[in-house]
Amino acid sequence: MSNINHNIESPKEKQNRHKAMEAIKLLNTLREDFKAPIKSMEYFYDLFERVHCKHESLHDGKTKIGTMCIQIPSEIIYALDGVPVRLCNGFYTDDEIGSDLMPQKACPLIKATVGHFASGNFTDKPDIVFSPTTCDQKTKAGTTIESFGYKLIDIDFPRTKESEASREYWRRSVKQFAVELSKFQGKKLNRTDLRNAIKKIGYAQSLYHKLSDFRKKEIVPILGLDVFLVTNAFFFDKIDNWIEATEKLISELEIRAKEKITVTGKASPRIVYTGSPPIFPNYKIPQIIEESDGIIVADETCSSNRMFNDMVAVDEWNIYDMMDSISDKYLKACTCPIFTKNEDRIRRVVQLVKEYKAEGVIYQAFAGCTVYEMEQRSVLEAMEKEGIPILYLESDYSPSQGGQLSTRVEAFIESLKTRRRKKK
Amino acid sequence: MKYFAGIDIGSTAIKISIVDENKNLIGSKISASGSMFYKYAQETLDALTNELELNNNNIAYIVATGYGRKLYKEADENISEITANAIGARAAASEFGEIKTIINIGGQDSKAISLDSEGNVVNFAMNDRCAAGTGKFLDVVALKLEMDVNMLGEYHFRSQGTPLSVSSTCAVFAESEIIGLLGNDHSIEDIVCGVHYSIAKRIVKLVKRVGIKEGVYFDGGPALNAGLVNAIENELGQRIFVPKNPQITTSFGAAIMGVDSYNYENN
Ligand code: SF4
Ligand code: SF4
Repeated sequence: MSNINHNIESPKEKQNRHKAMEAIKLLNTLREDFKAPIKSMEYFYDLFERVHCKHESLHDGKTKIGTMCIQIPSEIIYALDGVPVRLCNGFYTDDEIGSDLMPQKACPLIKATVGHFASGNFTDKPDIVFSPTTCDQKTKAGTTIESFGYKLIDIDFPRTKESEASREYWRRSVKQFAVELSKFQGKKLNRTDLRNAIKKIGYAQSLYHKLSDFRKKEIVPILGLDVFLVTNAFFFDKIDNWIEATEKLISELEIRAKEKITVTGKASPRIVYTGSPPIFPNYKIPQIIEESDGIIVADETCSSNRMFNDMVAVDEWNIYDMMDSISDKYLKACTCPIFTKNEDRIRRVVQLVKEYKAEGVIYQAFAGCTVYEMEQRSVLEAMEKEGIPILYLESDYSPSQGGQLSTRVEAFIESLKTRRRKKK
Repeated sequence: MKYFAGIDIGSTAIKISIVDENKNLIGSKISASGSMFYKYAQETLDALTNELELNNNNIAYIVATGYGRKLYKEADENISEITANAIGARAAASEFGEIKTIINIGGQDSKAISLDSEGNVVNFAMNDRCAAGTGKFLDVVALKLEMDVNMLGEYHFRSQGTPLSVSSTCAVFAESEIIGLLGNDHSIEDIVCGVHYSIAKRIVKLVKRVGIKEGVYFDGGPALNAGLVNAIENELGQRIFVPKNPQITTSFGAAIMGVDSYNYENN
């Protein structure tokens, strides 16, 4: 009944526009709002723009294996000719869609992931999805996602880390995963392919470590925000392209390190970031930190450090040994708060603080993420014992709410500066 | 023949409509409201009656509405702009179908009004706390982009890239965001488009508070901006109806109200 004639967007077009607007907003901030931008970061900015604003698919003709968490071994996926696509989602647009399908107090990451599946709006739609039974919400979200018509397989994940029984249990699950995937792909897992996959991912991990080394130096040549973007790209990018781009980035950082080019201010406090994972484009808290003159030098999150930190350690390159080593890496080395006891995580954070000479820790939990909210207490206590200042924040995906959070972060960062002055 | 006038004294403009006994719109006039509401309202009314070759005696009944309605003492009656808007919208859109929801964007505020099937106002929501999401905001944007407000629509449809959203809820901060975008050489088209979507999203939130129903009518000066109309339609996911002369709906409604009141009093 309108008297003005222009097409109205379909719901899908509207979602895409909303997501594109979210994406470009962050990308423009990264490109323009900080000093000394890194040229080779453009590959990553462009990658996210291509996927989220121009809706380019990256893996046409390949089988896309959706994963709901880092716990699904990419090594096996590559060895079976699949492309892993991690579906943990950071879009507010999808969070809103998911809100109608999930309890109001659910974690925004899950709501966004479920919302994404509900909308069916993928540039690289997963052909099959593997969902490890990690946190309650991820575990339960599986059936909701299945109800939208996706092929989804649960992978049993134990929630204690120490016992020999759970180690066995998880090894069995990983084998089962390999069996399922090999059935789906119509390909048998062989030694050479698995070995190559382990090596390739190992190489990618080594690049991450090289990248991190620059952040240990006094002069920090790269923003934490940029590093999050690089690691988040690993969720879905073609691995060879990612490797090439990261190598370039490292060479540029070498030059910058020599020329003492820094992205920080004169007295920017060094921060370790831990808690619920920042996933593109929900970089709200990291952005506030770095816009408030803090610099994130390291993180302990599953969207970044936790993906790369520990390598698969193989003794004998036969298939059984490789499979067991892969299983162990995902279970033993994981510092996710879904586990009963999680001393490892505290140790990791303290170690990061020391290695990266951080002056404070910022811990953020998504409102609705029970495990991170609960573990806050033990981490805070431990930091207090170590004499490491820590700030705990709760946040969600909504674009408002920024003012309050900035004030708290700014105050924390200022307190770190004061502390430093007093020490001198 | 008797005639009836509706005078809508808003924050930025005075709008007058005159209808005949059969509630047909005979003429209308818009002028800036400025500081002297009363004087300008009277002048505008005189000018309009002159144009229509009526004299003031032909005007049987005057209904005033809008923010400044109480200042116009000559009026026979005073009604709220919500009621007047509802009556005017239903009448203006009669040939198109039934109106259930009204979006009105004024100079300093924006409203969403929900009607039942008889045209009674059942709910309304209003934003008059900040300029973002009002006509004022568009003026500020146009000024910053050094263009006429009337050009905004054209720029909107020329946008090729991703609309660049302006996230500040405050017009003052939004202004500096726009300056930032301009400084980084972003396309004006994408900025304009993003501004429209930012307003549209805010408006849709307002509409959601009263409930989105089929039959949406959009009036107020900014409704002349086809880009904004497009953005609201996309955000709502449905067509909206924009009257030919979107600024006078409320005064038109007031004039119609005048006919009913006059008939009631004289029978
Ligand atoms: S928080 Fe833990 S369970 Fe959730 S996605 Fe990350 S690693 Fe997986
Ligand atoms: S943030 Fe918390 S609730 Fe959300 S997926 Fe990770 S562990 Fe689960």
